[in-house]
Amino acid sequence: MEADQSASKEAESCIDLLVIVLDTNPSQHFVRQNPQNLTQILEAVIAFGNAHLMQKAQNKLAVVSCSHHATNFLYPLPRRQVELRQMDGQYEAFNLVEKTVKQQLGSILMNAPRLSAPCESLLAGSMSMALCYISRLQRNLAPGVKMHSRILVLTGSNECASQYMTFMNVFFTAQKLGITIDTCALDKTLSLLQQGCDITSGQFLKVTQLDGLLQYLLWVFLPAPQIRHKLVLPPPPKVDYRASCFCHRELIDIGYVCSVCLSVFCKYSPICTTCHTIFKNPGPLPIKGKKKKKTDKQM
Amino acid sequence: MADTKSGSGRHSAAGGSGNTVLSPLGQGPANLECKDFQEYLRTRQTPESLEKLYNYPPICLAVFRELPEIARQFIIRILFVDQPVPQAVVTSWGAQRCAKEQAEATSCLTALNVWRVTAIPGGLSAWELSPTFKKSVRQVLLGGGKPWPMTNTLDKDSKPRDIAFLDTYAMSRWRCVLHYMVGTGNRSGTDAEAISPDAVRILLHANLMKRDERDGITITRQGFQFLLLDTRAQVWHFMLQYLDTCEERGISLPECLSMLFQLTQFSTLGRDYSSEGMNNQMLTFLQHLREFGLVFQRKRKEGRFYPTRLALNVTSKEAAATASVAMDEEATQDCGYIVVETNYRVYAYTDSPLQVAVLGLFTELLYRFPNLVVGVLTRDSVRQALRGGITAEQIVSYLEQYAHPNMRMVESAIHSKSCLPPTVVDQIKLWELERNRFTYTEGVLYNQFLSHTDFVTLRDYAQSIHMLVWQNERTRTMVVQKNGHDDVKRYWKKYSKSGV
Amino acid sequence: MADDEQEDQKEYRWETGYEKTWEAIKDDEDGMLDGAIAEIIQKAKRQRQAQKTKQNRLGMMRHMFVVLDCSESMSVPDLKPTRLRCTVKLLELFIEEFFDQNPISQLGLIALKAKRAEKVTELTGTSRVHLKALESLANVSLTSEPSLQNGLDLALKSLKVVPSHASREIVIIMGSLTTCDPVDINLTIDELKKEGIRCSVISLSAEIHVARYLTQQTMGTFGAVLDDAHFRDQLMSQVDPPPAAKTQHNSLIRMGFPHTKNEVEGKDAPLSMCMCHIENLEEPSELTTTGHHCPQCNSKYCELPVECQSCGLTLVSAPHLARSYHHLFPVPNFEELPFEAMPASSSDFTSDVRECYGCAKALGQGVDKVADKVVFRCGFCKQFFCVDCDIFIHDTLHACVGCNTIPGVDGLVYQQSSKSDQVDAHPGPSKQRGQFAM
Repeated sequence: MEADQSASKEAESCIDLLVIVLDTNPSQHFVRQNPQNLTQILEAVIAFGNAHLMQKAQNKLAVVSCSHHATNFLYPLPRRQVELRQMDGQYEAFNLVEKTVKQQLGSILMNAPRLSAPCESLLAGSMSMALCYISRLQRNLAPGVKMHSRILVLTGSNECASQYMTFMNVFFTAQKLGITIDTCALDKTLSLLQQGCDITSGQFLKVTQLDGLLQYLLWVFLPAPQIRHKLVLPPPPKVDYRASCFCHRELIDIGYVCSVCLSVFCKYSPICTTCHTIFKNPGPLPIKGKKKKKTDKQM
Repeated sequence: MADTKSGSGRHSAAGGSGNTVLSPLGQGPANLECKDFQEYLRTRQTPESLEKLYNYPPICLAVFRELPEIARQFIIRILFVDQPVPQAVVTSWGAQRCAKEQAEATSCLTALNVWRVTAIPGGLSAWELSPTFKKSVRQVLLGGGKPWPMTNTLDKDSKPRDIAFLDTYAMSRWRCVLHYMVGTGNRSGTDAEAISPDAVRILLHANLMKRDERDGITITRQGFQFLLLDTRAQVWHFMLQYLDTCEERGISLPECLSMLFQLTQFSTLGRDYSSEGMNNQMLTFLQHLREFGLVFQRKRKEGRFYPTRLALNVTSKEAAATASVAMDEEATQDCGYIVVETNYRVYAYTDSPLQVAVLGLFTELLYRFPNLVVGVLTRDSVRQALRGGITAEQIVSYLEQYAHPNMRMVESAIHSKSCLPPTVVDQIKLWELERNRFTYTEGVLYNQFLSHTDFVTLRDYAQSIHMLVWQNERTRTMVVQKNGHDDVKRYWKKYSKSGV
Repeated sequence: MADDEQEDQKEYRWETGYEKTWEAIKDDEDGMLDGAIAEIIQKAKRQRQAQKTKQNRLGMMRHMFVVLDCSESMSVPDLKPTRLRCTVKLLELFIEEFFDQNPISQLGLIALKAKRAEKVTELTGTSRVHLKALESLANVSLTSEPSLQNGLDLALKSLKVVPSHASREIVIIMGSLTTCDPVDINLTIDELKKEGIRCSVISLSAEIHVARYLTQQTMGTFGAVLDDAHFRDQLMSQVDPPPAAKTQHNSLIRMGFPHTKNEVEGKDAPLSMCMCHIENLEEPSELTTTGHHCPQCNSKYCELPVECQSCGLTLVSAPHLARSYHHLFPVPNFEELPFEAMPASSSDFTSDVRECYGCAKALGQGVDKVADKVVFRCGFCKQFFCVDCDIFIHDTLHACVGCNTIPGVDGLVYQQSSKSDQVDAHPGPSKQRGQFAM
């Protein structure tokens, strides 16, 4: 009990950093349906960000936009702060968030090159930028101060297989640094990000109704990962960790892995197509090997 | 054992007369009570007045942040729900194994009148957020409504004050108050700025100082304890006392609180704010804040002021600890001057009589040099402080707070929790513990039993219900816990009736 | 290795010219050395970074024995608190890091106690076993001399039966200056050489001829530690997979990718026990519905990666394989440029601010002025990064932020280094990054 209390006290004193990675790519399904939807999502995200800031005085927020042409910070913008005075009853810091995010996103979208064909959102890259930012803040902490960080990804894009490596690198880095990755999918189920959430023990949620978005965000993603066990949240979805082979891109149960470059194949082939290694011992089951080598390593 | 020869046979006289013997021994005058904001609200405010407070968005935001973590999540979730939410639904949001914590959160919300029970059709009871609270929090989060006071647009300050200046200013103002308390301000004449009668009145009201026989003013024991607190706690305690007296002055409490919070939690250090549009009472309040160093204002009449670091985050200890770092990469200057060695020696690089006086409360001072005081922590010196009502915790935290920067470097180098030598910290705590060898239990004494059997019967009964504190067969005396008294008495009545 | 051969021809340290090491250290404006030292450390870091050239043929599946000297010499307190304690602490870190970086590799521990060699843990792929064993090693009584040969022989015996496609390694941590061997140690060394087992030695005292000879013969590395920080560096350098040994047979390995069977046709899976805890008396196996099932024989395991105990299939999950890819496809080094070479940010409201592309830190301002003297530019996306981000990207993230956020930059192509054909023209099997079809 006492340990519990001290733990909760510690939770109160540490900084919670939330980095929101917002997909603003105009080729997202819901934006193409109705451009107003983006505004609606933006409002929800700002309200959610402010709700995070409202939790504790020392909470921090960053918003990164991932558009079709570039990734930018929407908040905070150091040394470019807009001089703001309260216009209404909104708390001045919250107002600052709202104004900065809207202004910045506006100018980004204005300056964006015209989109000729739908293109992918480079979400993995945006997440890697968020990681750089988090690691900077982490480095600059005064001794004795703790910081918990997490990343929330909001996207309606499809994930692209070409970003697989970056995604994986991002997930492992986040896992190593103790950063939780949450994902709110607005359109499709994203299996890669689902894996990322699972690896970093974050939440994955698919929201199809944009109307209730804020309520969903507040419910599932607002509680800090440290207190999530105290609340009832949606159960984690089943994550498929099977590999797909490099040759046919099909999910496989049993496959062959190149010992040099770890490429996965569904059938035995004498040469690795990734690293061009020639495999010496032919035969379908190389593991049985020549001579009398036992596969059993326990002596 | 000698039988009681009692000819009278007055059974009623036997054990019935209980007299309370053991009550917590008074430890002299009450110690300094430091309340946090939540306690303050709970103890001093009635539901009606709380409701009045919730009209002010800054207060709501402050209250919200004071709530337990789970409670905050609950509030957020029902903030945008317009109808009452059935209690069962709210309960289902929390995990089963944390039911206790959840109950605490629920009761805290009820106690602060943030939500209340209403009935919904179907006979279920439901929670409903206080409409005022809900409105204010929504406003804080999303906008709408009137702007807060003091946020009027200002022209650019021609001579803006930087944070370093504000820091020195604030500390010098606050030190005036402290100096006054130890009486050094007047004597030395260096810091001769006397403090205003208002401040004196607060000090008296707070029992930090008292009038002595010769109508002079001296510091009380609580006052010394007050000095040992860190600056944040000092300011907060002082402001609470101030708020107590503000109704007498005709200043409205909610308005004061609201402004105080706005200043302390929700304003940016190094930014100027406007006093335009404030009423006279608030302007007086501002002048008081100015006097204590919570705000900086160049001239009395100037419509511009800067909040200082002193004001920031006074309500929450944890927030204060990290506040300095929370300001992105901003350097903070330490004003530590105390070095504690493992041999219990304390070196303080200071010439301030105030700091020396405080140090003298719990150390034995050995040498004094123009810029250095050397003392040693001894059992006697610490016990004397403990007798004076100062706790070990306070001593340790004082030493930590003013630890020399070099000591802090050691702290980060060896990853220890405290910058003080662990031996010293432990020893101070042990010295405190050795004074706490008694545990006090309230109880009722039963004596003058007429027969041994009577005594044994009653004793065994008391023992069987685990209410016996102490007994002595020879003197036929026993002490029963206070809450067991009724039971034992009833049993005795029944027993004596049937026994006759 | 080439490295060692070079060193062979080099004269002794005292025969080389004067190294004026003190000239490298200059005090800054405040007369402090901290800044200068930090700079030296940073340079060293970058140097190591630069040495990591692209290696396509690495021994990714490693079987490594860590041979730990537990003789009297390990009680010497020159490493604090003692050599053994210090080593055990560092080994804990090493083991965590090893499995983090080499998820499909196996590790075993051998202790050299009083002229005997004792296998503390068998080759396994879970760090928990080793950490537990290490804990007990910390309090072992340290007596007598070690026997290098016995240790090598024991490791050799186990490694001989490891499949030939794996990289086989022995890392020896020696505190003693002597070894007490039953027969000629050269025989063992020849055997190791023949088997292609890479032996590396970290000596806690001084350079020992026989140890160096061993490492030279088996293509390993030799290091004598200066202090605990140096020790740590030496040990951690063993975490990166070594280049593939010549004797290493390349082959395709059959592996299983279990999927979690939580539901069978809508119903919860039946309760079952996992194989990994079934013989563990301390933590007996629990009946659960979740777990990873071997696709070949359907036995259940609660943790991956693992080798199926009933059919011998290696069970891994896709992310485990992905975790090692960064060794094969490292981020190319960035170009170091002076701060002035960085153009001010082009975006309109930031006329005079130069920001790091990764962390959005405003460069050349405030307290970090010294550190920001140099900036780094990625050769592909031409973005500028600060020192910290440069190190973070290369050491931890393994992905260039610029190349991954700016569409159209060919930066991603470098990751699939060996591929020369166009990405879209040929959606062939060689597309490394296109492994997952959505």
